[in-house]
Amino acid sequence: MVEIFIDGDRVEAEDGQTVMQVARASGHVIPFFCWHPALSVPGNCRVCMVEIEGDGTAAGWLDIACNMPVAKGMRVLTDSPRVRVRRKQVLELQTLNHPVDCGVCDKAGECTLQDYHYQYNGAPSVSRDAKVRATKHFPLSERIVLDNERCILCSRCVRFTREISKSDSLGIQNRGDHSLVRAVEDGSFERDPYSDNVIDLCPVGALLSRSFLHKARVWYLEPTASICPGCERGCTVDVWHRKTAWKLNKLDPAANARIDRVTPLENPAVNGPWICNKGRDLAQIFERPRALVPLLNGRQAQLDEAVDEARLLIAAARRPVALVSSWGSNEELAAFDRVLGARFASFVKTDWLPVPGERIEDDLLIKPDKNPNRAGARKLYPALPADERDAFPADCDLVLVWGEGCRGDQLPAGAKIVRLDAWLHAENDRADVFLPISAQTERSGHYTNFAGVVSRFDACFAKPAGVADAEALFAALALPLLVEAT
Amino acid sequence: MTGRKLLMTFPVTADSHTLAAYRARGGYATIGKVVREMRPEQVTKEVAASGLLGHGGAAFPAGRKWGVIKLNDEQPHYLCANADEGEPGTFKDRWILENAPHLLVESMLIAAFALQVRHAFVYIRGEFDLPHRRIAGAVEEAYAAGLLGAPIDGSAFACDIVVYRGAGSYVCGEASGLLTSLEGKKGYPRNRPPRLTVRGLYQRPTVVNNVETLANITGIVRDGAEAFRRVGTAKSPGTQLISISGHVQRPGVYEVEYGYPFARFIHEDCGGVLAGRKLKCVIPGGISTKVLTAAEIEPLTLDHASVASAGSGLGSGGMIVVAEGTCMVRLLQVLVRFYHHESCGQCTPCREGMGWLHRIVDRIVAGDGQLDDIERLIAISEANDGTTICGMGDAAGYATVGILAKYRDEFEHWIVHGRSRCEGRLEAVGAEWTIPEAELHG
Amino acid sequence: MKHLLAEFERMRRRFPPGFESSLVLPCLRRIQEDRGWVADADIDALAAYLDVPRIQIEEVLSFYTQFRRAPIGRWHLQACRNVSCSMRGAEGVIEHLGERLGIAPGETTPDGNFTLSTCECLGSCGTAPVVMVNETYHENMAPERLDALIERLST
Repeated sequence: MVEIFIDGDRVEAEDGQTVMQVARASGHVIPFFCWHPALSVPGNCRVCMVEIEGDGTAAGWLDIACNMPVAKGMRVLTDSPRVRVRRKQVLELQTLNHPVDCGVCDKAGECTLQDYHYQYNGAPSVSRDAKVRATKHFPLSERIVLDNERCILCSRCVRFTREISKSDSLGIQNRGDHSLVRAVEDGSFERDPYSDNVIDLCPVGALLSRSFLHKARVWYLEPTASICPGCERGCTVDVWHRKTAWKLNKLDPAANARIDRVTPLENPAVNGPWICNKGRDLAQIFERPRALVPLLNGRQAQLDEAVDEARLLIAAARRPVALVSSWGSNEELAAFDRVLGARFASFVKTDWLPVPGERIEDDLLIKPDKNPNRAGARKLYPALPADERDAFPADCDLVLVWGEGCRGDQLPAGAKIVRLDAWLHAENDRADVFLPISAQTERSGHYTNFAGVVSRFDACFAKPAGVADAEALFAALALPLLVEAT
Repeated sequence: MTGRKLLMTFPVTADSHTLAAYRARGGYATIGKVVREMRPEQVTKEVAASGLLGHGGAAFPAGRKWGVIKLNDEQPHYLCANADEGEPGTFKDRWILENAPHLLVESMLIAAFALQVRHAFVYIRGEFDLPHRRIAGAVEEAYAAGLLGAPIDGSAFACDIVVYRGAGSYVCGEASGLLTSLEGKKGYPRNRPPRLTVRGLYQRPTVVNNVETLANITGIVRDGAEAFRRVGTAKSPGTQLISISGHVQRPGVYEVEYGYPFARFIHEDCGGVLAGRKLKCVIPGGISTKVLTAAEIEPLTLDHASVASAGSGLGSGGMIVVAEGTCMVRLLQVLVRFYHHESCGQCTPCREGMGWLHRIVDRIVAGDGQLDDIERLIAISEANDGTTICGMGDAAGYATVGILAKYRDEFEHWIVHGRSRCEGRLEAVGAEWTIPEAELHG
Repeated sequence: MKHLLAEFERMRRRFPPGFESSLVLPCLRRIQEDRGWVADADIDALAAYLDVPRIQIEEVLSFYTQFRRAPIGRWHLQACRNVSCSMRGAEGVIEHLGERLGIAPGETTPDGNFTLSTCECLGSCGTAPVVMVNETYHENMAPERLDALIERLST
């Protein structure tokens, strides 16, 4: 252990740590653009300069904190007059050629350069020369737009593709103030399933999400903690949606119940600071056409009518089988088990298979099972046998299908079908009873990931009118059984 | 005669660069003695005792750099001769590569022995053609003679040398940029720590020495540190190859014993200023050193301490002579254009600052300058002083403030009157131009 | 690039093991010597041969002034415009070459014979002004010598 002092505070550091690491761990603020705890240290932005006090024999000196190894007795000053001068100079130079795009730039409100400019400089430009021009709206990929004028060449995006996603697909061309971030010419950045992390990493508005472009100011939105259902890693995410105070004046309520964007919710136990692109596209999962109306053999019905019919079928069945959703939350699963577990022979099904072209598995985040709570469900029930016929005994006369991923032709021909699902599928019409249920974003709960880590998700939106939680429906369906039991 | 000679000790002929000619001069006897009679640490001690300073511009004691290398640490060490020679005004390493390539090879062998290096490199700028052919030819001759690639003189010591060509980038002359280039990448300099002698080429301990620095090694080890110290001055022992160019009658490479009088060197040994003009100023050691006026060089001698006492530096010995009537605004314009072109672009102060310096000076030359542009040039220079990844930012700053300190009035004149006081002149040819009265200094 | 592989293998053996990445610059130089410039197919082939990321090669090609990804004229005239050369007439040299060839720096003559560029210090300041013609330094290039040079190269 090494004892150092930061702004007069005594701090214990470990050998080999940098001043930046120690400062952050001990709550001292040092600004930075290019440094990132999960990436290598390039030391190019120069804004993290700190002063090391002289000790009488040697004069004080300034240098970047991110690359400065701690030394015994070192006295670090993070906000001395000399440091302030240097910081202001660096900010002045960072903004020298930076376009004043804030009025049209998506990063406004969460931009490190904006924040530091006001904190450490605050003065208008002192240059009377025109700014260096470069490409704007450069298509770095189908998903990401690059503005080279805004880019401060911190190289975080480049380092991410070299060190984390390992696609080696971004680089910096040319040199000097003509340097340009560019994707490798063979298209591998397009194919990098982690590419969108560079959008979060970018400290300025140079790398922007095309799907989010100009959709909303970030202060119109608020994040709700959730979990990506894309695979059994269960990365925690922030789902961003409009704040009530900033709601749009539109007749369609869905306009204010949109997922505007998804960003990683840092989680050392699960996904660190990253997610894959599938998690960015959660709107594509959750905003598919919803099932909103109960059905009896395809005929629209009232909810109580449909529930009654389902109850009758369940009570009458002699060999009922349940196919339980691997997207069900731990709470929903527990509720199912409590009220219907004794009635059914239950199996955990695969709601989602990998889609063509999707990466199956890798060393970073992506897991082969594309369902978020297989582990939670499997704690209660066995997996559906590979040969489905092994699941359904010859005299199976009722199948309760909860969730997606099961076609009618996979079920025994003579059995009655009760389906619960959130989304519109042709199969819903073919069930004897169909009951619409809420989606993950409309309730709170927990998933257990492949490694046994339990994470929480919260409700972002209200349920559509007429749609119930599966948990409530299970209790309703089980009522006669419970009555019977007493 | 510019003092005693240690390197330019033989006449340059059509084949004085060959192995045979070098052997005839006593070449490769020293490495034989080293491998038979000395231990690596003894060689380093001798080099340290000699006080040899680096000849690449920083004048860092070579022996001290070598001393950082930990012997017997069970990892590869590398040696690299810096033959990138990109500093404007400097062309003396070229002399060694073309005329004494085997001296460099033998010196590298001695250094490799001292530093426990198995693989050494000569990083030579890509534009050099004849120098490359000469050093590559010398390396091939040495291989054929069993001096490279095979144990020398029945000892356990063997060394390989690879001649590696750059491809056009000034920052590859900076030691860490050089190594990154040698790793097959863009020549991006690196932050220190770690020092290159701890983690250099492919993160292994590496010594990078200038060609001229290395060329001195054979003589030091052959004749001993004491003999070397008897040449030159106490603080700058030995000699310096000075490249002199610009408005000088006899430009070229001269070996000067440290301590030799500055003014005499220019006016007598090099024939004085071109076309009988008076001397205006001198850039003493490469464009990154601060310009000295004719009056300022009068009391100086050619050694590091003396030139430093005048607020400048002898650096790499790239001396540029400037005649009266030369426009210092246009001269600075050439310099900042160069720095702008060569900035690697990594760090904020240099990447943005070099372009800014260039645009401001261009604007002054175009007649659109304002008086506070001068303060801005100084401020940009200050913002690059000690804040950058490598020394190029600082260098550009020194060049800029050096010229502004002595010739601010020329900039003010151009800004106020919209034109140069010296007709924007950089050349000093012919007798057809006359120097305006206001320009004539004492 | 296939026909250069034997040469690349000989080059590779000169380097210590694990130095494949270092071969990027010398291999590119050889490819360019051979073809006149570096083609996209060369980049693919070299990345595969050395097992280095393609992006590294693309960056190197863009960073160094001596590499080009498109053909230029048969004779590349690079005139230094740095300090000592400017002080010995480089600006006049560049102007003269431009007038004689009818092109500006950065351009190639219509017959594809000459490309004119300016460059920074070539390390030949003692014999300024200097013009580099392909691989060769032409020193002390006063205007008359320039004309003679262009005559010679035009045949």
